[in-house]
Amino acid sequence: MSSSNKRQSVLPRMPAGPKAPVNFSSSITIADSALLAGKHTINIGSESVVHPRARLDSALGRITIGRRCVVHERTSLGAAPASAPASDPTILNTQGGVTIGDYATLEVGAVVEAGGTVVGEGCVVGIGCRIGSGAKLGKHCTLTPLSEIQPGEEVPDFTVVYSNGTRRLDRRGITELKHKAQARQIEVLKRLIPSNPTKFQ
Amino acid sequence: MASFTPYTYIQCPCHDTTTTTTTTSQSRPAEDAPSPTSPHSSDDDDDDHNFDPRAPRSNYSLYPLEYLLWCDVCHQIRCPRCVAEELVTIYCPNCLFEVASSSLKTEGNRCTRSCFQCPICIGPLAVQSLESAPEPSLLSADNANTATTPAGPWILSCSYCNWNSSEIGVKFDKPQGIFAQLQKLRHGEDSHSKHAVGGDTSPTKTDSVAATMKARFSAMRSFYSAQNAIANPSSGLGDYGFSSPGALSRIMSIYSGNNAGSHKQKSKGTMTREADSASEGFRALDLDDSSAVSQLRRDGWDSTVIGDQAKSQVEEGARFAEELWPIPYLLRTKRSKRCPVCRHIISKPESKVANTRFRMRLVANTTIPSISIKPFNPPPALLKPLQPVQYLLTFRNPLFDEVKVTLATPATTPGRFASRVTVLCPQFQMDPSTESGMYLVDDALKDDNKDIQGRRRRGTEGGTHQAEAGKIWERGHNWVTIVVEVVPASLSLEAPPALLRKEGEPEPDLSPLKEDEDVLEIPMFVRLEWEGDVSHDQMSTSTGKEKDAREKKELAYWCTIGIGRISQE
Ligand SMILES: [Zn+2]
Ligand SMILES: [Zn+2]
Ligand SMILES: [Zn+2]
Ligand SMILES: [Zn+2]
Repeated sequence: MSSSNKRQSVLPRMPAGPKAPVNFSSSITIADSALLAGKHTINIGSESVVHPRARLDSALGRITIGRRCVVHERTSLGAAPASAPASDPTILNTQGGVTIGDYATLEVGAVVEAGGTVVGEGCVVGIGCRIGSGAKLGKHCTLTPLSEIQPGEEVPDFTVVYSNGTRRLDRRGITELKHKAQARQIEVLKRLIPSNPTKFQ
Repeated sequence: MASFTPYTYIQCPCHDTTTTTTTTSQSRPAEDAPSPTSPHSSDDDDDDHNFDPRAPRSNYSLYPLEYLLWCDVCHQIRCPRCVAEELVTIYCPNCLFEVASSSLKTEGNRCTRSCFQCPICIGPLAVQSLESAPEPSLLSADNANTATTPAGPWILSCSYCNWNSSEIGVKFDKPQGIFAQLQKLRHGEDSHSKHAVGGDTSPTKTDSVAATMKARFSAMRSFYSAQNAIANPSSGLGDYGFSSPGALSRIMSIYSGNNAGSHKQKSKGTMTREADSASEGFRALDLDDSSAVSQLRRDGWDSTVIGDQAKSQVEEGARFAEELWPIPYLLRTKRSKRCPVCRHIISKPESKVANTRFRMRLVANTTIPSISIKPFNPPPALLKPLQPVQYLLTFRNPLFDEVKVTLATPATTPGRFASRVTVLCPQFQMDPSTESGMYLVDDALKDDNKDIQGRRRRGTEGGTHQAEAGKIWERGHNWVTIVVEVVPASLSLEAPPALLRKEGEPEPDLSPLKEDEDVLEIPMFVRLEWEGDVSHDQMSTSTGKEKDAREKKELAYWCTIGIGRISQE
């Protein structure tokens, strides 16, 4: 995780190093102080918002963010996998990046490890969550704050992970409403966050 | 291995009910409390007078110092178990509204102001419109726009686990008065039309109206009061009903034995019968579980409730997640506490709900010295059996008077594994605590000097500064540190050779190590003596005495000191 002094040590170095190859939609909002690094391509779909100090690292694989996603502060996409599960070390895929589906929200401090990790459409990844390398979140999942998904795990659609890993199904059936709300929120964020995509291109 | 934090628990005098009930406010229960005459002869004493922190009863009277209250009049420790409590304020923890005790009797002990807990995760539920369904992450500016046009139907939803009341088929017509609406949905006549859950799957639900606790109770009550009227036509209770004060006083007179005739009447009464039909509140147990089994088979484990969820429900018997209802918040209370012996109030909170202060609170740690425990040498993870270890006990005096402390411990700890305990300095004086902050600087300087001295000492003696028997280890302005030496017992369980066993001696207990039996706990008897101001109670009675009269005071109690775990080698 990035402590404040660590961030500062990285920031000045960024312009000097080679820029990560990017492929931005023209309608995205990306803050000036977002951190993009790595050698693989970083794709960001239309109308997605990347908050300041979000960290996108494509060193281990390509990062793809869908449409109308919100990536909050100090999230880390494509982080190096922490460790392989002892039971099956082969599950750890050091190659492969991160795919974030449309309408997903990654809240403050969430970590998505690299290695073919997928966050499905409409997922809400809560504050400080960690998604292990190669895990696959289905559509419209909700991870409550500080939840952890083990590497290689597959989480079915509409799962709510809460209370130290307890799971249940989200049966609210408000997918459409959530999409509308997400669109409205992005409208507001667009006005609030000064975007500077050219810095990264 | 989990680390072990040393602890001190103090025994409240209420462990011995005979002392608390027989003592008046004048005498001091502690004086009657058993004490070992000396640390060494205690083994020969009556065993039942020796305090065993492991005895199952001890659990109920041992408290950390912070939990203990103090009665100024009785001059004694009072614990949460023995104080008499009185309700000061009854309130809802969610909306913080005060509830009058009269409405408590009519409406029950739960909040009736639309405060609900999630039946899945006990998080607070919020009323939301199904139409706009605002996202929790929505910015407030945007929320304001949507909030202007709210439209029903309304649901209760949990923002944490995403449960909502439409999962059990509950929707509300208006966002106010949720409690009443829910009550109607659950117990009212129209519960079938509105609350249609999984229709085909729950035939047990069809007779749910009669099966609700409340309906059954009222049916049963009317049935049995009718039966009572038949049985005792002349007692007069039937005329009044049970709720009238006249009937109540009659009942009281019956129980107090003034009315001898009533017993005869009771035995003479005609036979009453028990309820046996549904209209009388009777319910036969439904032994046909086939529908439950088929539901279980279809919906699987996830559709069942967990124990905690079923327990937190208002009505019992929920087995499937769809039988879980929103839980109205249980009301809470603020309570004042009275001394059980002299009935003086020793703790009284502010009556306002939002005010967390206390009007009065007499706590024990303004009188009783705190004891902190530190190992003499850097602590090993586990105590090695049969290897002596020394611990530093620091006593800190909270009183503004000089206090003489006398300690006593049994030579060996009670229980199957007897560790040897030696208090190197069982008697010492503690200087008074000072009021002003001035001494702090002084003390800090002293502490610094001491550190330097300590270092020097260690330097000259090569790190082996020996603890001496009968001498205080260290002393500060209101604290004293002494050394306790412990020889941990071996935890190996071996039967003693048959030759050494005496005739008739009970079989040694060779069962495997029980939970926490490897924790080394020292029972310690503490006796404090000091000269203090005459307590207020006696001041008022003896007006002739001078204001600054002093009297000798003493206090004695048992405490238990948890030192560490013994390694199982
Ligand atoms: Zn008292
Ligand atoms: Zn007590
Ligand atoms: Zn309330
Ligand atoms: Zn919930």
